Amino acid sequence: MSAILEVEHLVTSFPSAKRGQTIKAVNDVSIHLNQGEIVGLVGESGCGKSTLGRSIVGLEKPQSGRVVFDGVDLGSLSGRRLREARRAVQYVFQDPYASLNDRQTVGEAINEALIIAGLRSQTEREGRIAELLNQVGLATTVRDRFTRELSGGQRQRIAIARSLAVEPRVLICDEPVSALDLSIRAQVMNLFLDLREKLGVSCLFIAHDLALVRQAASRVYVMYLGKVVESGSSEEVYRNPSHPYTQLLLASVPEADPATERRRNPPLITGEIPSPTNPPSGCFFRTRCPLSVEACAEAEPVSQEVSSMHKAACRFAGGLFAKRVSAA
Amino acid sequence: MSSEPILRVKDLTIDLLTAHTVVRPVDGVAYELSRRETLAIVGESGSGKTVTCFAPLGLMPVGVQADISGSILFDSRQLVGSDNETLRSLRGKSIGFIFQDPMSALNPARRVGRQIAEVAELHLGMTARAAETRALELIKMVGMSDPEIRLKQYPHELSGGLRQRVMIAIAIAAEPTLLVADEPTTALDVTVQAQILRLLKEIQSRMDMAMILITHDMGVVAGAADRVMVMYAGRHVETGPTERVLSQPQHPYTMGLIDAIPRKQDAIGSRFRGLPGIPPILGAPITGCAFMARCGYAVDACGERRPPFLPTAVPGVSAACPVLNIRAKECA
Amino acid sequence: MQPVRPLLKAIGAFPRSAVFTIGAFVLLGLLAPYIAPHDPNAQDLLIAGQGPTLAHPFGVDHLGRDTLSRLIVAARTSLVGVCLVLVCAHAIGIAIGTIAGYRRGWTDELLMRIVDVGQAIPSLIVSLAVIGIAGVSYWNMILALALAWWPGSARISRAVAVNTMNKPHMEALRVLGASPVRIYFVHLLPTTIGAVLVYATADAGAVALAIATLSFLGLGIQPPTPEWGQMLVDALPYLESDPRQVILPGLTLTLAVIGFNILGEAVALNRVPKPLTSRMLAARRRVTAFWAKEARP
Repeated sequence: MSAILEVEHLVTSFPSAKRGQTIKAVNDVSIHLNQGEIVGLVGESGCGKSTLGRSIVGLEKPQSGRVVFDGVDLGSLSGRRLREARRAVQYVFQDPYASLNDRQTVGEAINEALIIAGLRSQTEREGRIAELLNQVGLATTVRDRFTRELSGGQRQRIAIARSLAVEPRVLICDEPVSALDLSIRAQVMNLFLDLREKLGVSCLFIAHDLALVRQAASRVYVMYLGKVVESGSSEEVYRNPSHPYTQLLLASVPEADPATERRRNPPLITGEIPSPTNPPSGCFFRTRCPLSVEACAEAEPVSQEVSSMHKAACRFAGGLFAKRVSAA
Repeated sequence: MSSEPILRVKDLTIDLLTAHTVVRPVDGVAYELSRRETLAIVGESGSGKTVTCFAPLGLMPVGVQADISGSILFDSRQLVGSDNETLRSLRGKSIGFIFQDPMSALNPARRVGRQIAEVAELHLGMTARAAETRALELIKMVGMSDPEIRLKQYPHELSGGLRQRVMIAIAIAAEPTLLVADEPTTALDVTVQAQILRLLKEIQSRMDMAMILITHDMGVVAGAADRVMVMYAGRHVETGPTERVLSQPQHPYTMGLIDAIPRKQDAIGSRFRGLPGIPPILGAPITGCAFMARCGYAVDACGERRPPFLPTAVPGVSAACPVLNIRAKECA
Repeated sequence: MQPVRPLLKAIGAFPRSAVFTIGAFVLLGLLAPYIAPHDPNAQDLLIAGQGPTLAHPFGVDHLGRDTLSRLIVAARTSLVGVCLVLVCAHAIGIAIGTIAGYRRGWTDELLMRIVDVGQAIPSLIVSLAVIGIAGVSYWNMILALALAWWPGSARISRAVAVNTMNKPHMEALRVLGASPVRIYFVHLLPTTIGAVLVYATADAGAVALAIATLSFLGLGIQPPTPEWGQMLVDALPYLESDPRQVILPGLTLTLAVIGFNILGEAVALNRVPKPLTSRMLAARRRVTAFWAKEARP
């Protein structure tokens, strides 16, 4: 498998409320996405996962680093060429109520995307609209409805259909189901699985819902304060979380089974995420980490290989970790 | 839960009337709640779970008239038909509220200490000085570090988790007997959610409160609630002890909801389980069972009249499902 | 005739007082030449200063011109003036505001600093300066007022444009690779114009007043064109002997300004949910009464 999308040492920062200071929302992140793969990106709010996604599609301007799509460095392009290259990477927004224009009908919204994609003939566009609606599991009769008349799940499908109009190869999905009702989440999640299967679309799935990501993604990245702290196959990361943050994050998720939930006594992460304006020295997680030692404050942890393809940025990752836990 | 119920709701129906429309978000709901007990009201958006708790206490947006019928006995006082004065004296004093979004529930221009003290002054008749002391006590009680400094801060200086702790401090300032928490952890991160839920349970047992937890997260229900009431389209479809409802759901809707939660055993890349169709849009009450259109077990009789709410084969669990009730009768 | 109904409904939602005043103002302005009973400039010195009579219900002025006709034609002058000023001011303002809001960065900084300077100087002083340089004429007055008014429009337009650009549906267009031309002309500009026109109604009263002020100072509309401010100046020498000549144009001007202000306020408050009237409540309850019968088993 070859990487279709590579993000190398990306840094995106925002000016802070205080003058002269900047917040590094994404701090030297490298990730990649293979053809036809669904990859999860998880973390708490403010960890920079959305900013990373937005930087990839050009909604935020990165300070440094590269976004390489299909072997082409997007930073080397500009103007029309850049817009056309970027079209292959589409973004699915969290809120389907805000991502569609209320004043457009379903047909108009998708038609506009087709015009942008350069489909000149009106009849061809009509045919393609029907095809796209069909692809996302909607009846073609919704074409003349205004988007505001539809439910959240339907609107999210239309937003997806609109993205598909420009024939993307990668979808960056930013919490695509968290605004939807429980009973419909599965429908939209299955749609992503279908799209990957039928169209070969790769997905970067940004979410805070760990269980959802586990089932959908073959690989997963865990972010904390703008950095990737752990990455690996979902199987590995969920079964053998090797960064203390990932462990505590997974342990915090309540179980829907009351018997296990009552017995479970999750180790609580104490405190809250430090301000990204002024992150701790050394390891960013050390202020909340139950394992932290003095050395953690001195140098940034190096990414350690736990097993092949499974990495964690913690000095105790891998073999050392088990010893440390049993000692603690 | 042998004690006398502190809250007894019977046949509660709420119609919301606005300049544009009229809807019935709550349709004949009934439940009971005892001291020290936690009832989780579970449902999707539009199921009426929030209106059930807020409208009877006069908490409604401007321009919305709530027509309420049925009966709500709180501490042997009838709330349905009470005047605004009575309701106002109950709100914040005997009944505390926690909202989903603490930022919009707090006054951004006042220090948090003042906001907590205000409740103590208003409902406990404390002097300003005594109320300040009380505020400090409460800040400590909700587990905030550096309590003296926190009192002097403004809401925007606090993180989401700390703001929710302030909300809790305000809600319990007057030592209410009932705490209504509307999605208290939905806006919070999962690590903070665990802290807040633990805090709520701790405070509940310390203050002998009854608690209504409005949520859509079955994980939260499993960890925090003694009993569950599942709502669909403004009606309660199933109630019972948490461990039974979650492990042996009886109503097809509850089954679907619980089945839809991804499990550890699910293979990576496998399809997600969920319910077909979409929830009904609020409006006029639906004839027959509201869930019929999405139900895999539906028979013709489901559409004829509203299914009665009856005990099921599982002890303590009641459900409103005609198919199920037939089976229950056969078992008996 | 499909669009008439919602339009009537929208008008019906505004306070009646404002609808009547502004409606009368606009109608008089549009139809002035047809409904004015006399030629507004026809002098008849024989009856100069005469009070109300059957032929001249509001009397005549010091040159014997019919006051009612002059008031009516002045409404037209004022209406045309207000419209021209608002169109010019908002054309400049919306152009600058949307460009700033679309481009952001240093363009935004630069344009907004210019707006700051414009807003820092009182509009009347700007107008006086422009007329002082360009000379007194009708079009110079329109230009002067437009130059005094655009910074406010630019500021609002920029706020609306920034807000619109940050909406996810606009971001979605950017991700789809829509060209800047499409984003600006097809989406940003129409949205901004729609939102800013709402604010324009609130400004109309102030512009009407400014036109009258400039005319009163002799810098705006020149005699013999009837104009309310102009009429006030004409009548000023007779303030004590015949106050009617001052009071009538003054009152008309006041009514128009108050009408615009009420309208503007209503437009601004339009988003606030309307209170339920008892009639509506009864209608809704009739619906629920029917439900109750159906739902109870």
